[in-house]
Amino acid sequence: MSTKGYYGRMLEVDLTAMSSKVTMIPDEDIKKFIGGRGLGTKILFDRLKPGTDPLSPENILMFMSGPFSGLPIPSSSRTCVVTKSPRTSPLSPQFKSGSTVSYSNMGGFFGPELRFAGYDALLITGKAEKPVYIRIHNDRVTIEDAGEYWGMGTDSFDKTFHREVGEGRWESCYIGPAGENLVPMACIINTAARAAGRGGTGCVMGSKNLKAVVVKGNKMPNIARLENYNDLLEKVRQSFMKKDEGVMSWRYGGTTDALASSSRAGTQAVKNYSEGTFGEIEKIGTEANRKEIWKRDFACYACQLACKKSGYAKGAYNVQVHDSPEYETGTMLGANLLISDLNGLHRLIELADDLGIDIISVGNTTGFLMEAYERGDIDREFLDGIDLTWGNVEATIELMHKISKREGIGEPASKGVKELAGIIGKGSDQYAIHVKGHELAAWNIPVNSDSWAVCYATSNRGACHMNGGNARRQDSACLRDSLGACSFASSWYRGELQYQNFLKAITGLEWSDEEFNRAGERIFNLEKMFNYREGFRREDDFIPEKFFVNKFTFGEHAGAIVDRAKFQENMDSYYEGRGWHKDTSRPTDETLGRLGLSFTI
Amino acid sequence: MSNKISHQGVSRRHFLSSLGFGTAGMVLLGSYGFVIRRDHSTGTVRAIAVNFDECAGCRTCEAVCSAYNHMESVNGRMVNGIGNPALSNIRVYHYNPDIDIPSTCALCNDAPCVEACPVDPDPETGYRALYRDPELLTITNDRERCIGCGSCADACRELRAGIIRSNPEIGNPEHMCTLCGGDPQCVKYCPFDALSYVVMDDDRNLDGLSPRKLAAKMIEKLYNIRVTETQL
Ligand code: SF4
Ligand code: SF4
Ligand code: SF4
Ligand code: SF4
Repeated sequence: MSTKGYYGRMLEVDLTAMSSKVTMIPDEDIKKFIGGRGLGTKILFDRLKPGTDPLSPENILMFMSGPFSGLPIPSSSRTCVVTKSPRTSPLSPQFKSGSTVSYSNMGGFFGPELRFAGYDALLITGKAEKPVYIRIHNDRVTIEDAGEYWGMGTDSFDKTFHREVGEGRWESCYIGPAGENLVPMACIINTAARAAGRGGTGCVMGSKNLKAVVVKGNKMPNIARLENYNDLLEKVRQSFMKKDEGVMSWRYGGTTDALASSSRAGTQAVKNYSEGTFGEIEKIGTEANRKEIWKRDFACYACQLACKKSGYAKGAYNVQVHDSPEYETGTMLGANLLISDLNGLHRLIELADDLGIDIISVGNTTGFLMEAYERGDIDREFLDGIDLTWGNVEATIELMHKISKREGIGEPASKGVKELAGIIGKGSDQYAIHVKGHELAAWNIPVNSDSWAVCYATSNRGACHMNGGNARRQDSACLRDSLGACSFASSWYRGELQYQNFLKAITGLEWSDEEFNRAGERIFNLEKMFNYREGFRREDDFIPEKFFVNKFTFGEHAGAIVDRAKFQENMDSYYEGRGWHKDTSRPTDETLGRLGLSFTI
Repeated sequence: MSNKISHQGVSRRHFLSSLGFGTAGMVLLGSYGFVIRRDHSTGTVRAIAVNFDECAGCRTCEAVCSAYNHMESVNGRMVNGIGNPALSNIRVYHYNPDIDIPSTCALCNDAPCVEACPVDPDPETGYRALYRDPELLTITNDRERCIGCGSCADACRELRAGIIRSNPEIGNPEHMCTLCGGDPQCVKYCPFDALSYVVMDDDRNLDGLSPRKLAAKMIEKLYNIRVTETQL
């Protein structure tokens, strides 16, 4: 009998042996690492030898639910994919394949359904000889031939597969051609749109010859204090159902609202991060989409915000829109490339989703190449004849196809800006916008640099906009990602309704506020120690040179730039606050001891 | 766990009304009762309607339906259960192109499920093993007399929405809507106001209740994409 609220069961599938088994999660790990991202990192730390090649059969691809997954706690639908990253590398490698932990979080219904099937986690190791998919129907787990699906885009896979299994009740996630072709920046997609986008999750899945995982179940774990839980659930539902401005604006605009507001605030990635404001943002913003494209808002499991927008875009391209543009996708393939053609933008987003490519990384990489081309650091020949000018939709489409096949320029470009800068030279690393090899996302640094620079520099999966700009925020993000909760809804979980009260009711265990927060800190520190073991040091906690030398020239925030000395100062006090060595960035033994992480020493 | 809802003491009688694409995409699931009974106090017929234009596919309705209809005993008190969606009487089906179709018992006026039941009517009540609850007009199973043949499930699947699923062990029909004893939880908690309990017109067409058929209609309506039922 495991901790209440959990099954304590993990389904482990070995694709080399073509077998599966159920193993138990130690209760102690549940209390210390909660689930999702935290538990996944613990497993990765325990089981992977330092320097393991992320694309080798040894790497573990984990689909982690959390203790909230499958419970109708509003907006707790997240599934965290945890694996060793094929995207990152330290400046001074100690191993051929030293890389960070990768965790990537997707909404939808997959994690809940995995729990309905009776598992808290799905761990996949090995490599199948031929393309396969994993089918999980409660206790019945089979590994099926995926030959007929191999090569399919994610949209056609979604349509074809669900038509074949019938009934509209299976949940699935899958890779597109990019993942199959081992494009490092490939992602995992579900419902043809929602993505575990970052950190190369789809590449790891492809390396296992795994096209898809499909799951259906009819169980639920037990809850320790049902009345207490019901009471909290009723209260949180009522607070959402007041339909205040917060709820209604998520429904109306989703994250798309941030396209205009972030642009005004000068915090948007524009023209490969050269600017923070895009003059034509209104053309791709909420109002334009409401008017021309969007037909329906969609919610994840038990969510009341419904930030996903579907519709149909007509024009030069006819596009079935599953979820776009949201802030990240609209910025990275829009503002960052100076693309304001709404129809073209939808085409790009749909194409990237269909190929199964991380839109943040591919948008960032395209912006980098556009800048290199404009500067004359590369010529048209380097780009296989693609005239990759700012704002050029067709050229971006061509590049994306090549990336998905790793053909010509697509081969180095598939590895992202760090690799490209290494090949191009000529100081192009100064405008290669990544940290630890992972591209920055759609939030630009100079305005609010105290927060954003620390956020990107210290993220454990390489540059990440969801990391949080200070230790406290980072630790809460760890907790959310471990519970299965969505960050967009976190402001409804305050006071009596804070997450730990749900967790206590579900498990019947006690966490003081301090203990609960310490679990978040523990998770972040464990990730850090994983990375440290892989060879990452303080020098890897940087932000790209461009931010110190480039001044915004446009909009209200013209002149904004990051102060180098201030950045170093902020980083010093960050390490100090965390109880980490300033010179190496390693958590001190004392910190590790305090967090119950002495086993990492 | 079993259905602990008491049907006693419910004063209103509930009627479900017809399916049709009326104003604002409102699609009404359900039918008149087998025997038409009107609410004596107001003289109107009320029913559950699904507005497919508003449904966001969140499946909150499944969770609350299950929690209410499958209560659990805690210290001798019956409280809402954990809300396992597999036990719900309303089910949300999703499709690509993106559309979600909540589906629950239509309380068909001709009730082909009841018609299909081969158990002889009880001489006293006139009920087969599947019958209409006299108060709420919900489709109700007499487990004692049910032989678990699955004819009712077949009838519903072939002719209507496919609501009934047979218990995998004993074959008796499950997942017929109970109307939650007169206080439909799905309506109460749907965050997007896609479900309502409203006054209905009298005539309607009971064809095309299957989630796939409805999905095909909605996809054409929303995205102007034509798909046939078999393409979904
Ligand atoms: S609760 Fe409402 S919006 Fe959510 S799936 Fe059910 S009917 Fe649709
Ligand atoms: S169970 Fe099916 S056939 Fe019977 S009344 Fe309900 S929808 Fe109609
Ligand atoms: S399963 Fe039971 S209720 Fe249904 S038709 Fe057969 S005997 Fe009648
Ligand atoms: S009225 Fe009650 S039983 Fe019927 S579908 Fe809604 S919640 Fe379920």
